[in-house]
Amino acid sequence: MLFRLENLSHRYSDGTLALNDVSLSFAKGERIALLGTNGSGKTTLLNHLNGILKPTSGKIFYEDKPLQYNAKSLLELRKRVGFVFQDPNDQLFAPTVKQDVAFGPLNLGQPVEEVKKIVDEALRTVGMAEFAEKPPHFLSFGQKKRVALAGVLAMQPEVIIMDEPTSNLDPRATSDILHLLLKLNKEKEITLLLATHDVDMVPLFANKLYILGKGKLVSDGSPKELFSDTETIRNVNLRSPRITHLFEVLKKENNLPIDDQLPLTIGEARKEILRLIKTEM
Amino acid sequence: MSHAHIAAHIDRHAYTNALAKKSPTTKICYAFSALFLSVLSPTPIVPLIVFTVSGILILRFAKIPTHFYLHALYYLTIVTAVSSLIIALFFGYGQPLAELVTPWFTWTIYRNGASTAIYTFARVEGATSAVYFLVLTTSMTNIFITLRKVRIPKILVEMSLLIYRYIFVFIEISAKMQTAQVLRAGTSGWIRRIRSTALLAGNLFIRTLDQGERTFTAMNARGYDGNIRVLEDLPKPRITALAAIAVFDALLVIAALLTMNFGVV
Repeated sequence: MLFRLENLSHRYSDGTLALNDVSLSFAKGERIALLGTNGSGKTTLLNHLNGILKPTSGKIFYEDKPLQYNAKSLLELRKRVGFVFQDPNDQLFAPTVKQDVAFGPLNLGQPVEEVKKIVDEALRTVGMAEFAEKPPHFLSFGQKKRVALAGVLAMQPEVIIMDEPTSNLDPRATSDILHLLLKLNKEKEITLLLATHDVDMVPLFANKLYILGKGKLVSDGSPKELFSDTETIRNVNLRSPRITHLFEVLKKENNLPIDDQLPLTIGEARKEILRLIKTEM
Repeated sequence: MSHAHIAAHIDRHAYTNALAKKSPTTKICYAFSALFLSVLSPTPIVPLIVFTVSGILILRFAKIPTHFYLHALYYLTIVTAVSSLIIALFFGYGQPLAELVTPWFTWTIYRNGASTAIYTFARVEGATSAVYFLVLTTSMTNIFITLRKVRIPKILVEMSLLIYRYIFVFIEISAKMQTAQVLRAGTSGWIRRIRSTALLAGNLFIRTLDQGERTFTAMNARGYDGNIRVLEDLPKPRITALAAIAVFDALLVIAALLTMNFGVV
């Protein structure tokens, strides 16, 4: 297992128990979505994975070795586990896009010529190469988000963690980011862990889903399994994807012979509708 | 255009003007030497030459739009003109230059008062044009990197770098907060306006602390170890350009020496 969390709890200094006995694990190359409402502990959980927060109790293992919190081990961990923050303004601190993307690899002690190449490639990957010399305040929110991702890519991580990658993005930017992440996962085998409450996005992206409610792990499994369990989803104040909801209603209220595993995406819905039409005829 | 607007426009020109890709060292050398010579010059000739040359560099070479440059100069010129007028009217002694006789009093303008006023005006305009040349043609990023190279204390450069970045974030935040206040009638009436402004300032302060914390966390996540490392790939200064600046400065000094004993008025 790449990451393994054992009985992780975290209590903030004000007494809030943000994480309560969470155990989970995932392997290299997976695409994991961490689903939960605002205040469910998603961000707290993510912040443990590259050592920003230390667990109050419980253990975290990366490649079966427990995390260590000295400067050297943290730098090594942060090279391998990249973190893209929710608000790109938190992350972009340098006066130009290029300088910001170069920050990570320079901290890793890469030679300057190498850094220039890496920065170039990272910016090209996210489609922001032409903005290299621009300051971040010239960019739109979606562009800033992509630069923030480039800043993490430039560290050549094995895992990318993103907190609410699609929040505040318009539909086009959302779809661009998702495709980019899927491409990174496929071509570079980068493991992805996304925290989100965008339930419509999850089935398009994740092969594994963890649902968090009030700091506890409520459920885990494939998106198909979990979204079919509408009860649990509603108990943690989330909802199914719109399209799934539609099929659930059609099945319950109109008694259409719809499969128990409800479709989660437009593609799956289309297949199911075509199947229904065929059986009707 | 508000002041924040002018600042934002200056910043935009700094990245996009026709001289943006030229060596910042050269531009800093020109700007600082011209600035110091303007201020130190004992005659108004030097600042006037600097003003003219900077103007040509800004408008013809950097291709900054003329209306924008005039607009940027406008307020400062008015303030300087008023101050110079006050100097001319109220300061000075000795040899009178002109007398204004009214039935009630006689107002005397002195020769040295008038010449101080002209010096002051010329110096401010010359110095300002030199500084405008620098900020309109050179991005803050390049200025920071050059400052690092000449061993300005790291802490100062790194602080300025972060301040520069977050000024724009906070301009945006404060504009949003202000809009929110206006929409809830927070600026109706003078007292309420003062209260709202105070609240905004207080809130903004808390936001900066919060932002600092979050930026620090994000920097740590990318391996920050107390040093902000930057890529130093600036265009090298051309010897010919530096030599031209040296010759120009020398000519300014000569001009100053030659005209030192000519009275202005």
